[in-house]
Amino acid sequence: MAAPMELSCWGGDWGLPSLHPESLTVMAYAKFSGAPLRVNTINNSWRTPKANLPVLVSEDIVISQPAKILNFLRRQKYNADYDLSAKQGADTLAYVALLEEKLLPALLHTFWIEAENYCSVTKPWYASRIAFPLSLYLPGKMSREALNRILLTKGGPPLYSLTEVEAQIYRDAKECLNLLSKRLGTSQFFFGYTPTTLDAFVFGFLAPIYKVCFPRVQLQEHLKQLPNLCRFCDDILTCYFKLTVSGHSPAGQDTADANLQKLTQLVNKESNLIEKMDDSLRKSPQHPPRKLTTLKLAAGGEESSPMSRLSP
Amino acid sequence: AAEPWPENAALYQQLKEEQILLSDNASSLAVQAFLQMCNLPIRVICRANAEYMSPSGKVPFIHVGNQVVSELGPIVQFVKAKGHSLSDGLDEVQKAEMKAYMELVNNMLLTAELYLQWCDDVTVEEITHPRYGSPYPWPLNRILSYQKQWEVRRKMKAIGWAGKTLEQVLEDVDQCCHALSQRLGTQPYFFNKQPTELDALVFGHLFTILTTQLITDELSEKVKNYSNLTAFCRRIEQQYFEGHEKDSSTIAGRSSKRSLLR
Repeated sequence: MAAPMELSCWGGDWGLPSLHPESLTVMAYAKFSGAPLRVNTINNSWRTPKANLPVLVSEDIVISQPAKILNFLRRQKYNADYDLSAKQGADTLAYVALLEEKLLPALLHTFWIEAENYCSVTKPWYASRIAFPLSLYLPGKMSREALNRILLTKGGPPLYSLTEVEAQIYRDAKECLNLLSKRLGTSQFFFGYTPTTLDAFVFGFLAPIYKVCFPRVQLQEHLKQLPNLCRFCDDILTCYFKLTVSGHSPAGQDTADANLQKLTQLVNKESNLIEKMDDSLRKSPQHPPRKLTTLKLAAGGEESSPMSRLSP
Repeated sequence: AAEPWPENAALYQQLKEEQILLSDNASSLAVQAFLQMCNLPIRVICRANAEYMSPSGKVPFIHVGNQVVSELGPIVQFVKAKGHSLSDGLDEVQKAEMKAYMELVNNMLLTAELYLQWCDDVTVEEITHPRYGSPYPWPLNRILSYQKQWEVRRKMKAIGWAGKTLEQVLEDVDQCCHALSQRLGTQPYFFNKQPTELDALVFGHLFTILTTQLITDELSEKVKNYSNLTAFCRRIEQQYFEGHEKDSSTIAGRSSKRSLLR
């Protein structure tokens, strides 16, 4: 095969491989279609002067937007939509448009414009992953771009103040979440049993809302009332990302902290699962399910060996 | 309780022959088609300052009783509040699909139309600037159209369309038409037997693209590639517009800047 493709994107936290919706979409699609991507999470380097992530580099070709990256992967025969009918392909396009129009503004607002969220979570997180002195400038620039986008697309009359625009975009976002939930229903993925492009996009947009811990969380609370969407995110995280979420620990001084943080998150997740599987755990300490052995053996953050035992 | 639909309900848009642009015409036609499908009579009134009269700055807007509502989305809600709806018969999943497809049309087709009108230099010089400012004397006509152009270009930049070339935009239009064509298939309407607001919206945009003469025919060629879409437009035109011969609302009576649907 040709040289492996490299994807540069924003890193992750709170149990997610990436915080950035577009990066997450591309990573999810790569997992679904089996594309061998080497993922470089940006951490304290000078490689992102324009912050137009995610960026795919394959031999000499550089591609930067998620839709184009996905097209490129499809042309390289990594196609997650192979089994879809033409009508389902059309539905994919329509639902992605719905996500971009209705959900993205509220997502951008929650991350970049809501003052408490931005100052206490988003800005420090992004600033810690960009080299000084860009870290003083880039998060502010991203925030201004987000505000610009929202005001230009949604902020015309008769909505004259930012609070009215905010109210409208959150209403739209909640309606969009409801529509997605109705469309998903009880199936595992949007088009049956295998995940497709649409699942990648929905996951990319929903997972940050679902997992990132913000002070102001109205969208997250609304999402938590839609259990099928939460289950959808969790399923993808456990099936497709669990095995590598700890494999890319950031290089540098805070390896130990990062691993400890990840360990804490895993422990929290496991304890939730353990509450559910209470009886069977007490009866069988040597229970094969991977989650329990991970908890017992993972001591210093090196989880790769028990993980490799557990690959399906 | 819903009030009855008044006789003198009016729809306002810009001047049809000299001023209105592709995207506004498409939106206006979509609303007209929707109201025809609901069997609600409406007069079309053309005013040069329609954009400024509108509560949201966008055309078309309707004046019903003592209320003024603009744009298709709010108009559909308003009409529903009066007791008329085209999408009541759909189940939840179908309603979700309908909304998604309407967003697709707005996201791709409308944005492509705006791009073509305001960001493609040839079209801007030869068609848009002369038309947009035509009711006003110099220099107001140039000032207004430059102002609008700057506004639209800012928006394109914010959503990432400023970097696209015309070919890429036409590609997107093709993709959108392909999706619509696949979804329509061989059915008469998008949700089989009954038309819905999605049919009105798609009709508005596609019919306008097909019947508007631009610098090149590339845009309308993209739509003509899909025979079920052209048949769909013809069917709706025949069913909902041909019976009404009033001067202001007939589609067949257009002049210089339009060519008839063959």
